[in-house]
Amino acid sequence: MIQGRYFDTHSSAAGVAQLEAVALESVCLHVNGQRQMFGLAQLEISDRIGSIPRRLRFPDASEFETDDNDGVDALLGAAAPRQTWVHRLERNWGIAVGALVGVVAVSFLFVRFGLPVVAGWVAAVLPPSTDNIIGQHAIQILDHGFLKPSTLDAQRQANLHNLFSRMTASLNDGHDYRLELRDSPALGPNAVALPAGIVVMTDQLSTLAANDEELMAVLAHEIGHVRGRHALRQMIEGVGISAIAVVILGDMSSVTALASAAPVLLQSRNSRQLESEADAFSRQWLRDNHIPEQRFDDILCRMIGPEDKKGAQLPPFLATHPAIQDRAHCPSEGK
Amino acid sequence: MEEQIAAPTRELPLQFHATGAEYFRIWIVNLLLTIITLGIYSAWAKVRRLRYFYGSTSLDGTSFEYHGKPIPILKGRLIAVAAYAVLALGGRLSPYVAFLMLPLIFFGVPWIIVKARLFQMRMSSWRGLRFNFHGNYTGALGAYVGWMLLAMVTLMILWPWALWKQNRYLLGNGAYGTERFEFHATKGQFYKFCLIGLALLLAALCMAVLPIRMLYTAHPELLRPNPNALPVEAAMVSLKLAGAIYLFAGPLILLAVAWFHARLLDVSIGGLTLGPHRVFARLRTWPLFWIYLTNLLAMICTLGLFYPWAKVRMLRYQTANIGLIAHGSLDQFVADTQTQASAVGEGMHDVFDIDFGF
Repeated sequence: MIQGRYFDTHSSAAGVAQLEAVALESVCLHVNGQRQMFGLAQLEISDRIGSIPRRLRFPDASEFETDDNDGVDALLGAAAPRQTWVHRLERNWGIAVGALVGVVAVSFLFVRFGLPVVAGWVAAVLPPSTDNIIGQHAIQILDHGFLKPSTLDAQRQANLHNLFSRMTASLNDGHDYRLELRDSPALGPNAVALPAGIVVMTDQLSTLAANDEELMAVLAHEIGHVRGRHALRQMIEGVGISAIAVVILGDMSSVTALASAAPVLLQSRNSRQLESEADAFSRQWLRDNHIPEQRFDDILCRMIGPEDKKGAQLPPFLATHPAIQDRAHCPSEGK
Repeated sequence: MEEQIAAPTRELPLQFHATGAEYFRIWIVNLLLTIITLGIYSAWAKVRRLRYFYGSTSLDGTSFEYHGKPIPILKGRLIAVAAYAVLALGGRLSPYVAFLMLPLIFFGVPWIIVKARLFQMRMSSWRGLRFNFHGNYTGALGAYVGWMLLAMVTLMILWPWALWKQNRYLLGNGAYGTERFEFHATKGQFYKFCLIGLALLLAALCMAVLPIRMLYTAHPELLRPNPNALPVEAAMVSLKLAGAIYLFAGPLILLAVAWFHARLLDVSIGGLTLGPHRVFARLRTWPLFWIYLTNLLAMICTLGLFYPWAKVRMLRYQTANIGLIAHGSLDQFVADTQTQASAVGEGMHDVFDIDFGF
């Protein structure tokens, strides 16, 4: 006998009721001193979740509610296994721990390996005009913030543009390469690849370089980024990660938003991979053009600075670039 | 409702039976299934989550029930994800695209609010009787777009008024069976708690200035940016600064939020009546603040694993302080026959077909 409450669903009135298993596959409802017989197949029975009350709905839409979950399961017996498999997963602590491991592993693997591939597909589908629009906006934003017009003399600027067009003329990879020279104390000696083939080089870098071959090594690295459409891919990954965070943390709140920091850390790892790709492209380009690879090491070591204190470096899981000792052989590093 | 003669008055707080341990297992299984089905299962997960929390909450010995089905929720989510992708990509490609989408958002959001609220209310029941929602699109457009624009134009002076309109729209249009909820909170009450909340926030911001001054006294060179400073060093300084601000101002901001949250529920939900019965809400700021703070710290320490317990703690405190002051019997509510039939029936109307609620 299952104890419970009965609702006629025409009003909010509640009555005490009992449900009794009678012959095979049928039950008897005792309510208000009356008895009604139902076949199990006629009943709509809610599936079990935690220890919340179960509801049985009769053909006339009236309802029976009970806290006796085990009683209802016994009543159903083997007759109706229904969709209890989810509840079987949910009640088991071992499965819960396994699911936890699974969640962590799957999200890690997806962001680490799946997302870059998906971003590559999306980037391949997006037309080159996308790159142009983004590139134009990016350089405008940078010009408002970190960049000032170049202070190099006209002759030097012309030489650098010349150098860059000679480098890119033979590539024929569909990108409209363009070199933008800017003065930037904020960025220091640096070069940045934007979508649409825009490569920004700072005056500080031009001053730092001992010769043009070193500059070519850095520019080749940036061309590597452009060819791989790395900037666009990273933007797509960013959109992907926030979309995943919304799906996983269905009800977003300020507290749960904290958990979305984890994928960002994984993305910085992907970013380091893109840097390595661009490094490899640069070294290959130098070899192809019979320029000593040493130029790449020289300029990179000088850009990061041999006096660069280890303490000032970001921990590896936050860094967007691989550590310098993994990218180049620096003489003063004594490695 | 007919006149109640010498009706006994009972105070019936909501009862909450969920436990963190039980919800943890439901949550983690939901999460895994959602991930391995690439988000498809999230609709089923939402149904299980809401059924668990509704079923764990009871009033006068009977629990609430959530009747939502996964497919309408899935449809709503697919549309939302598509819209999000278009907005996110469109906005990033060009600000003009984002600008063109503005009217779409202005007129679309109220529609989504009506649909989500309608679904949420009609899919909820107590003692076998459905809740309902009578708000229309014009009402939502006024409260959520019209009044918000007015608030912005007046430099947020009218914001509490807009918030009052929105709460009156969401709560005052609710119904249980055929009985309508009535919203009694006043604009004055909203202005009062908004102003005090603002004062608390300003105090928090003042506290934030303190660590910045300390940092600059300790590192005067920060005032003269070093042109040779590495971007990494600059980033570390910003990181320290942000940390200091969080440490000093964070608890105060949390306190302001707790105050706002408690007062909003007390004033808006606490001012509702349903026939002769009155809803009460008596949340207090300090317990709520304590739950916020400890939940936050526990979430950080456990890398988010504490989430199910945090959720249950929060709901337990809220439900324990919300309830009904019943005057007489709760048996006399009558089903809104039309709603009852269409909601229970197989072929649901198109209004139920999509759930946009998140």
